[in-house]
Amino acid sequence: MNYSYYLKNILFAYNKKKVLQIRELFLPKETSLGIFGPNGSGKSTFLKLLAFLLFPEQGEIFFFGERARDVCSLRKEVTLLEQTPYLLKRSVFENIAYPLQVRKEKNIEARVLEAMELVALEPKKFGQRKWFELSGGEAQRVALASRIVCKPRVLLLDEPTSNLDGENTFLIRRALTSLQEKEKMTIVVVSHDWDWLSAFSSQIYKFPLEIK
Amino acid sequence: MDYLLEGLKKAFYLLYSLDAETYSAIWTSFKVSTGSILASLLLGLPLGFGLGYYSFPGQRVCKVLVETLLSFPTVVIGLLVYAFLSRQGPLGEWGLLFSTSAIIIGQTLLGLPIVIAFTATGIENLDKRLKSTLLTLGANPRQVLLTTLWEARFSLLTAAAMAYGRIISEVGISMLVGGNIKWYTRTITTAIALETNKGKFEMGIALGLVLLVIALLVNLVLAFFRRRAHEL
Repeated sequence: MNYSYYLKNILFAYNKKKVLQIRELFLPKETSLGIFGPNGSGKSTFLKLLAFLLFPEQGEIFFFGERARDVCSLRKEVTLLEQTPYLLKRSVFENIAYPLQVRKEKNIEARVLEAMELVALEPKKFGQRKWFELSGGEAQRVALASRIVCKPRVLLLDEPTSNLDGENTFLIRRALTSLQEKEKMTIVVVSHDWDWLSAFSSQIYKFPLEIK
Repeated sequence: MDYLLEGLKKAFYLLYSLDAETYSAIWTSFKVSTGSILASLLLGLPLGFGLGYYSFPGQRVCKVLVETLLSFPTVVIGLLVYAFLSRQGPLGEWGLLFSTSAIIIGQTLLGLPIVIAFTATGIENLDKRLKSTLLTLGANPRQVLLTTLWEARFSLLTAAAMAYGRIISEVGISMLVGGNIKWYTRTITTAIALETNKGKFEMGIALGLVLLVIALLVNLVLAFFRRRAHEL
């Protein structure tokens, strides 16, 4: 088994309108995958299906060889960073620590500091800042840190740099490249930036995949 | 005017000299209102969460019902509780009529719709991305519930302050099911009504001042949380 996901006969519809139809798709594991396509082609829906936040009307999803059933425990192994992420109404440190707390993990402080370092957030400067004291780019980096702190098997990113300035785009991309090199993680990124996507990903999927 | 000033002077003296009867009414009010607000929150927070978070058949009817109960007259609630707790009533054998427990039951019924309605609104007004964020961060259903309540904390505290304000200042329930028994079920509001009828304004004014201070504190808390909620 050398794939992270196997999607079989997937059909997803919003208000009876087919948004996504996939006959068969294998996503390789421990590599970076890009998703490219026009707006409305089902890219975000696809990521939400992979994150087990949405469920197909038909078909089956296999996650690392196992049929996806217990979504509650599967969601501990895969995480999604949405285009405009939501930060919890607490400090930066507490936001990043939250996934570790819900998993009742240890060494929380050290792991939060490690994640903050990866996304270039200085702990002394940002640790105690409240959610409303951050710029858009800083908030995006906090959200990314809260996704990677628990080292998921799969990291899904939906347009992670679309609304950011040059500096924040650079910092997020640098963090992802560093993560790709250090961790054996499957990273799936949706982006409109073809140049970056082809440099970052080992494989790019063009959407719409198959819509009838 | 002199008459009122004299009453005010005597009122301050009653408070300053720690008059037993005055403080008994204040203590009883605090006791029953604390019990009522705790019971209202205990029942109202989960019900309000359910009403605001989930979609279910009959949800609209439930919301209309809760909103209707917000303006339920206190004497009618008192009357209903009286009917249930009186000797001929279905709960008559509990022997609770004219006790502080009866007042707590009545005041809980008064505070409950306020807590449910404001909790449901607070939960509904939360960012739609919250649920998917919590799920993708690995929270289980219990953790989703607790974190969602924490995210809505300013709305919930507003609900609690509003319910407390209504509970501490009501007179109809305390009078009907408490019976206004001196040293036992006499609260600030029932004491004001009684003492004013007897022409003893000073005690009425003293207790009225205490009630005003409580109302002021509740409003300050409300203003603080409203400001915090608008800032976010």
